[in-house]
Amino acid sequence: MPASKVQRWIDLLAALLGHRMPVTFKQLARDVPAYLADGSGAADEPSPTLKRMFERDKAELLGLGVPIVSIGEEGSDESAYTLRTKEFYLPYLGIVSARGIVRPTTVDHYGYRSLATLAFEPDELEVIVEGARRAAQVGDPVLAEEARNAVRKLAFDLPLGATDGPGGAVIAKPRPRADSRTLATLGDALFRRKRVTFRYQAMGAAAGAERSAEPYGLFFVSGHWYLAARDVEKGALRNFRVSRIDAAVVNKTKGGTTDYEIPASFSLREHAQSRQAWEIGDGDAFEAVVEFTGVSGAVRAAAALGRADESNASHRRFQVRRADSFARWLFSFAGDATPIAPPSLVSEYAAITSTTRAVYAP
Amino acid sequence: MTDTASAQLKRVLHLIPRLADGEEHALTEVAAAAETSPAELLRDLESISERFDAPGGFVEGVSILVEENTVCVTANQFHRPMRLTMPELCALELGLSMLRRERTPAEQAPIDRALGRLRDTITHVPTNDRHEGTRYADLGASGSADHLASLRGALSSDRKVELRYRAGGATESSTRTICPHSLAHAEHMWYLVATGDDGTLRFFRLDRVEAIRVLDETFERDGAAAVRVQETGRAFVSDTSRRMTVRYSPRIARWVAEREGQPLAADGSLTMEHPVADESWAIRHVLQYGPDAELIAPPELRAMMSKTLRSFGGVSR
Repeated sequence: MPASKVQRWIDLLAALLGHRMPVTFKQLARDVPAYLADGSGAADEPSPTLKRMFERDKAELLGLGVPIVSIGEEGSDESAYTLRTKEFYLPYLGIVSARGIVRPTTVDHYGYRSLATLAFEPDELEVIVEGARRAAQVGDPVLAEEARNAVRKLAFDLPLGATDGPGGAVIAKPRPRADSRTLATLGDALFRRKRVTFRYQAMGAAAGAERSAEPYGLFFVSGHWYLAARDVEKGALRNFRVSRIDAAVVNKTKGGTTDYEIPASFSLREHAQSRQAWEIGDGDAFEAVVEFTGVSGAVRAAAALGRADESNASHRRFQVRRADSFARWLFSFAGDATPIAPPSLVSEYAAITSTTRAVYAP
Repeated sequence: MTDTASAQLKRVLHLIPRLADGEEHALTEVAAAAETSPAELLRDLESISERFDAPGGFVEGVSILVEENTVCVTANQFHRPMRLTMPELCALELGLSMLRRERTPAEQAPIDRALGRLRDTITHVPTNDRHEGTRYADLGASGSADHLASLRGALSSDRKVELRYRAGGATESSTRTICPHSLAHAEHMWYLVATGDDGTLRFFRLDRVEAIRVLDETFERDGAAAVRVQETGRAFVSDTSRRMTVRYSPRIARWVAEREGQPLAADGSLTMEHPVADESWAIRHVLQYGPDAELIAPPELRAMMSKTLRSFGGVSR
């Protein structure tokens, strides 16, 4: 029975960590039984099959974040490989206290003495746990698992609390929720910079349509996950709500190469910043002036979203891209928030008032 | 790459440093510490301990002895966990950056320090930069960061709070003493989940809180209230039996139907009922859709809508 893949990986890692200097595959193979399986390694001439197995293992371990360094021409017999202990093992993690740094127990073996100590302050530990809880609550199981793994590692030395459970704050799960498999597929395409095709149910369309997109990022705002991607057909950047994406497939051709690059000028943070509905759109932004006359909690909270107008205490100023959306929002305050300028917004508001009154006309 | 093998490797690299002291460890305790089941633990250990192909003279890097209820591990390597990977760092960074936007400048300092220090714990592989800046999360600002800070302090010490609050339809503020159980973010807004003296669960929108004073009096916090918000997706509770019926036009019905989990009618419209605990909320809710939503019933609420619409001008004064 062949060795399990995990066993082979553990043997390979142990072999690499056991060597202070870079070693060739021939040397490594002596310490990894699976690389001696067909006898060729023992004869000091590892077969191409075994070498390919090693190359695959190395690539997969790199993919898992193991910092194996290749020296020399990649894949040649003279290539050498190394995994430095201080670049593989977690540094010692201490805690800053009034009496100095409280350090964890150190390991008295070769390779561990060179590990640095990194000291965290107690308030940093609190926010790390709370941050991990936040990451776990946004509805992406992969993200949640990565956060949990990170905290597990840190908790080897540090007294971190549990990250499961609600803690002091919870994020309500939206309806509908993004499908975890779709999120994983889009995340894979994003990491590998591969095009992805999917069926998308746009809100304005009666039926879903096939889309081909180049993912630039995944973002969670207003309780929903969105894919920011270049729509290949339209040649423009678009946001797709992940819960409306179905049957996502990553381009399988030329798997080892990228299909596109994310432009250096693109910033997901700037692109995805949480905004009000009237601030999002392709139109030019304009400044709206609104008079707030009501004093209810809802009206006061709405007024607080605008900037003060120094010429009039009851006026607030807003940056608006979508006049229709903004006018409807003002309309919901039933006369307690009235647009003053620009005239186009005033007209939009008057039109909504008129057409809505008609709905209730006797 | 098989997910099973990579997930198993992560678990094994998590386990060995905790076990590799040559001592016997109880399987149940190890499984609990590793947040796994004893059966999965045994599978993981067997996957690296059962050898069929070791050549003569081969010295195990990791030696594992599993007895009926215990496990004993000796290892030349893996006495410490692996560094954090870039995806693990990015997950923590995403959570910390969400926290950062909710906090006061003074509260941001430990977040920034933690972010800097965590960067020193990661492995460096050529693909790390592929993960940079590819995920972002933002709950949006709602309410005062100072109020959120006061409430977090009250929550962490299980202390009651005196709250000055102006409800959506109220024209004056009221002050009350409440027991805060949790903060909940729902429908783009932060809410305080709390009970009053009568034990009734209430939700307070943070952007309508005017003042907070944390009291010395303590109480027993109920975490289940927040979990209910998390599961239902709604920061709303009411024992009212009052309902209103609203028809949404085909132009907007799809959005509402998606949010509410309701089926569309054949003509593409949506007619559904909503609980009504607050009439001013009901009017605001329907008006936000302009002519695309019509309050159908009950008659007295529809009459109130007609009267409201007649009461304001619709043009600038």
